[in-house]
Amino acid sequence: MAVAGSVKTALQVAEVLEAIVSRCVGPEGRQVLCTKPTGEVLLSRDGGRLLQALQLNHPVARIIVACVSSHLKKTGDGAKTFIIFLCHLLRGLRAITEKDSLIPENFQTFERRWKTCCQWKFISQALLTFQTHVLDYIMDQYLSRHFLSIFSSSAKERTLCRSSLELLLDAYFCGRVGRNNHKFISQLMCDYFFKCMTSESGTEVFELVNDCFVELNVSVTGLPVSESKIIDGLVLHRDFSVYCPADGDMRVAIVREIIQPLFSTSGSEFVLNSEAQFQTSQIWIMERTKSIMKHLLSQNVKLLLSSVKQSDLVIYYARLSGISVVDCLSSEEVSFIQRIISFSPFVFPQAYLQCEISNTALVKFCKRLILRSKRYVHLGLISTCKFVPHCIILCGPVQGLVEQHESALYGAFKMLQQLFKDFDLNYVKKVNAQSDTLSPPLYKNSRKSNQLLRICNHPIRKPYQGTGIKNNDELEKTQYLKIHSNLPVSTVELETHISFSAPKMMPTDTVQTDEIWKCLPPENKRVTDDSELIENNSTRNSITENTRIEVSYENFQVTNSAGKGSILPVKYKSLETTCISQSCCSSIPAGCVLPVGGSFEILLHYYLINYAKKCQRLEEIMVSKLIANALLGIPQILYKQKKGYDSFPQVFLRTLPTLQTDQPMINCQAGLESVIGKYHVLTSVLQCLTKILTIDLIISIKRQPSKSCEPDSEDELQY
Amino acid sequence: MMSCFEAQKPSLCHSDPLTAEKVRATLAVLKGILTSCYGPYGRLKQLHSGTGGSVCTTSQSTVLLRNLPVTHPILKILTASVQNHVSCFSDCGLFTAILCCNLIENVQKTELTAATTIKLNKHLLNFCTSYLRSEGCACRIPVDFSSTQTLLCLVRSILTSKPACMLTRKEVDHISALILRAFLFIIPENTEDPLILGKSIIVPLKGERVIDSALLPGVLLEMSVQLMRMLPVGKSSALKVALFSTSLSGDFSDPGEGNLVVSYGVSLEKAALDQLLDLGRQLVSDHVDLVLCQKVMHPSLKQFLGTHHIMAIDRVGVMLMEPLSKVTGAQPIGSLGPVSPSSYGSVKDWCSAKFGYKHFFHLIPKEATVCSLLLCNRNDTAWDELKLTCETALHALQLTIKEPWVLLGGGCTETHLAAYIRHMIHKEPGSIVQDDECTQAELELIADAFCRALESLAGSLEHDGGEILTDMKHGHFWSVQAGPPSVVNWPDLLSRCGCGVFSNQEGLSWSVLRSTHHPFAPEIHLPHEALGISQQSAHSLTVDCLTAKLSGLKVAVETANLILDLAYVIEDKN
Repeated sequence: MAVAGSVKTALQVAEVLEAIVSRCVGPEGRQVLCTKPTGEVLLSRDGGRLLQALQLNHPVARIIVACVSSHLKKTGDGAKTFIIFLCHLLRGLRAITEKDSLIPENFQTFERRWKTCCQWKFISQALLTFQTHVLDYIMDQYLSRHFLSIFSSSAKERTLCRSSLELLLDAYFCGRVGRNNHKFISQLMCDYFFKCMTSESGTEVFELVNDCFVELNVSVTGLPVSESKIIDGLVLHRDFSVYCPADGDMRVAIVREIIQPLFSTSGSEFVLNSEAQFQTSQIWIMERTKSIMKHLLSQNVKLLLSSVKQSDLVIYYARLSGISVVDCLSSEEVSFIQRIISFSPFVFPQAYLQCEISNTALVKFCKRLILRSKRYVHLGLISTCKFVPHCIILCGPVQGLVEQHESALYGAFKMLQQLFKDFDLNYVKKVNAQSDTLSPPLYKNSRKSNQLLRICNHPIRKPYQGTGIKNNDELEKTQYLKIHSNLPVSTVELETHISFSAPKMMPTDTVQTDEIWKCLPPENKRVTDDSELIENNSTRNSITENTRIEVSYENFQVTNSAGKGSILPVKYKSLETTCISQSCCSSIPAGCVLPVGGSFEILLHYYLINYAKKCQRLEEIMVSKLIANALLGIPQILYKQKKGYDSFPQVFLRTLPTLQTDQPMINCQAGLESVIGKYHVLTSVLQCLTKILTIDLIISIKRQPSKSCEPDSEDELQY
Repeated sequence: MMSCFEAQKPSLCHSDPLTAEKVRATLAVLKGILTSCYGPYGRLKQLHSGTGGSVCTTSQSTVLLRNLPVTHPILKILTASVQNHVSCFSDCGLFTAILCCNLIENVQKTELTAATTIKLNKHLLNFCTSYLRSEGCACRIPVDFSSTQTLLCLVRSILTSKPACMLTRKEVDHISALILRAFLFIIPENTEDPLILGKSIIVPLKGERVIDSALLPGVLLEMSVQLMRMLPVGKSSALKVALFSTSLSGDFSDPGEGNLVVSYGVSLEKAALDQLLDLGRQLVSDHVDLVLCQKVMHPSLKQFLGTHHIMAIDRVGVMLMEPLSKVTGAQPIGSLGPVSPSSYGSVKDWCSAKFGYKHFFHLIPKEATVCSLLLCNRNDTAWDELKLTCETALHALQLTIKEPWVLLGGGCTETHLAAYIRHMIHKEPGSIVQDDECTQAELELIADAFCRALESLAGSLEHDGGEILTDMKHGHFWSVQAGPPSVVNWPDLLSRCGCGVFSNQEGLSWSVLRSTHHPFAPEIHLPHEALGISQQSAHSLTVDCLTAKLSGLKVAVETANLILDLAYVIEDKN
């Protein structure tokens, strides 16, 4: 049986999914109860879990679900947005084809289908080109000026404010957790984040938390959610085999093998010749176990963690020596502890072969923790990495709810991990090639200077490997002047602009300007002079600093000053020049956020429509318009319940004029969302759509499709 | 590797599950079952399986929910959350379940959006919990640990609320005294900071009279008569005890992963036995009087010890190891090698005792926080029920250590709370909802649903068709027996309110609970005589465990909110 793969069927499937998903999206979304075949009951608002629970059979649905889950694996967020956006795109496509289908009526059916297939192929290619070239370009050129940063970079390094993180997490959990608890869970996550992170913690902490999330939380059912808390130290999901309360200076040792020596190890043979030999060997085993314990005690080891079960003998001697023992730990738990205290494998002295004991480490405390009459080991480790160990105890009336909170917290960590990384866009080359058609008219102003720059850059340029964000503010400021010294902009305006924007520079700018800085060595002297001038100016900026706005409105100030002088924003121009210089990648800097509630979609819609107006190629216009219109589907659903002033058309109409006059959108009270997350959803959906469009026939077969021997390398490449 | 591919069946997806008639009907059935069990006059349920097996008679939520075959996912959520609550707090399971059902039912009738109801329910819950925890709360009584009255009331209330225990009034007195003694027994004398409670072991003795139940200090080990006779009569002073956690059977447990080659003529059994006898000799020379072993002891060793007048008891079981270690102060020995002298413990005395048809070996400690509650009841199912009740009561007593308060029982807390909410909604709604995200009408609708849920919960205590009233002064719960309607006025029939604090002497006015009535301001402070309950006869007060009830209230509202928030139910039919 073969079914023609068409937009129509795909749309039918997507519409069904959209109907389900759209009721769970956003702050007004509701919960879904899923039952597993085992009879377990699960609560969820997570789009990915929902789609999986549906166990869909339809081939197109399975493509969609597969795409969503691979997207989720990467980002941990945006499954529901994915479906809604895809559905709107398909709807747009159908609208286009219905218009077209009037023309080729006289074709024979086969030919018509062939024709439509070609058309789909064509469209899908246009989509791909759009995604790789146009989208990144628009993100960087237009959208980036509206980005807010979650970091308040008042000092040289970026710092994270609690209130801005709260705004971000509130918005995140709004869509993930039942409305009963989202505030509480968001607070819990926020507390946890700040308790675990030291000031210099970086991405490795996120990696650690992501890898070992299971070990970091304990679920307790039967208590109200509000009893959930964060406790200092680690909680092992086991009870002591021997518990000897001890205080003062104590150390911990980790073993992965049975301490008690055995008669024979695998591959060897033990020959017993007499009863006496048997008895002496047993006595020897006892003595050996005893001496190992003595050895441990002499090293002040008061706690023994073991990944295997230890024998009665070991337990007995440990108790006699006053050493607490926790055995049968999962290997994940053991390796997690090793990561925290950075154990290097340590070979036990020769006499104690048989067992390998890692180095010992200091322990702050080691207690028994009783949660709902179940016993746990509560361990205060002294972390050697940048992660301060804390555990989350998640309570809830039913297991399903606790699991929902657990996965939401996990997802939040994934989202933060992505947010805190710079993301490189890849549009640079294209800009050069098509500069005439793509660049807006504003661009032409600075063209002359660009040329100049290019000329002087080319001979000196070296292969640049990002030196990171560590260059200081001085550099940026000077850089700005540098560029503008070539431009026909009056110095007064320059000064005002810089005095506003310089102290709140975002990391991208640093990277990019740094780049140019390197390209222009001969003019060092003049630059330093200028920078002094700016430093004087920057004192004026103290007012904006004092207001202590948590989210730094960097671009807001930039555009404002530009609006007054009726010239293009200075920062914008500087970006332009960097693009032309051809040597750097644009990027979405770490910590970029936008106000929640469809701002990303509305902004992108606006710029895409504008872009389409300037485009000349037909398919580019079509694709841009298609995507722009589909984007609005998400805010439409978000505002569906609202009426009057808050209804979607009202919000949209209010936003447009502010965009046209280049004012920032200030409604971030509701919350913030990560730009990079949104960007990923967009690209994933476009990829999914091209996948659907390129299929012309769905053939059902009886067996599993036989796999080729080599693993699919495409996925690996994507990573 | 063989693999079997079977197409996964697609799941079933229902939208707005609560609106379905079938779901409402099943919820109503569940509520009916639970409501009819509630309280001291609750009806019993007999659970039996058509395929045979024992029959169980109960009115407790633990047993009922464990055995009820629930299939609908929504009911599964509800029962799971109640069961989890009960496993945490032992008490107030039916309270939680019925309140949750009532809330769902009442809120649905208001036809407001889920978002509004959930938000308001949460505000109301916060209002209730902060009131119940506040100093001025009129429905809680501080626990006075210097007298037993309040604690005894608590135990008695729990015992009487489980009619399936089949206790007479005299038996209730006896058992509640035993439970209270057991509780006092396990509190250690030196109160250092992490208070480590001892353990009370419930020893079953089915088929005997309840009055024969007893509380004994130390540990009771059940033994057969033959074994009892074999025990040598020891000295009657302090006994030295060795406690083995390892097997003394002479088996060879862990040879390792490699091969073990035994030469011809070498007998491992003999070698192992020699080792055991060596151990025995050491025990003899160390003047040990009693050897206890968790696992099996070799008969030869037993005999050897017997000839040296050492009592040997094996197969004690892992459950008793911790109490035994606590009672004797001995450390469980895990080695067959030389025993370190520090591992031995001691007991004050032992005796053999016969209770009913069972013989026990009774270890009497010098001082320890372990006691054995020998619990008797007539038949199996009544015994099971009684045991569960005793555990509940002991747990409730332990919870009072953390929060030394009890709530008024007998429906009075519920009606009082409802009256208080109604009053506050009327008077100052700002104290419940600060933000103006909802209208006063919405607030009143939801508050009414919430209060009616509480009131009808209290009303479920009445099973015999009587009328339920509330007084207009304190907002307490009063019930009138159903009788001939010719009686002139029912206030004459009232004697005491549900909890027993107030009697019908104080010039009160009543109104029927089910009818609508004007909000009135319930008196916030309990009269002084209620606090000094020691003067009153102990029988008159019904109280509930505060911790369990508060948590039950929270869980009920949270679960109801959870169920009300469901947009879809996806059932995986694989």
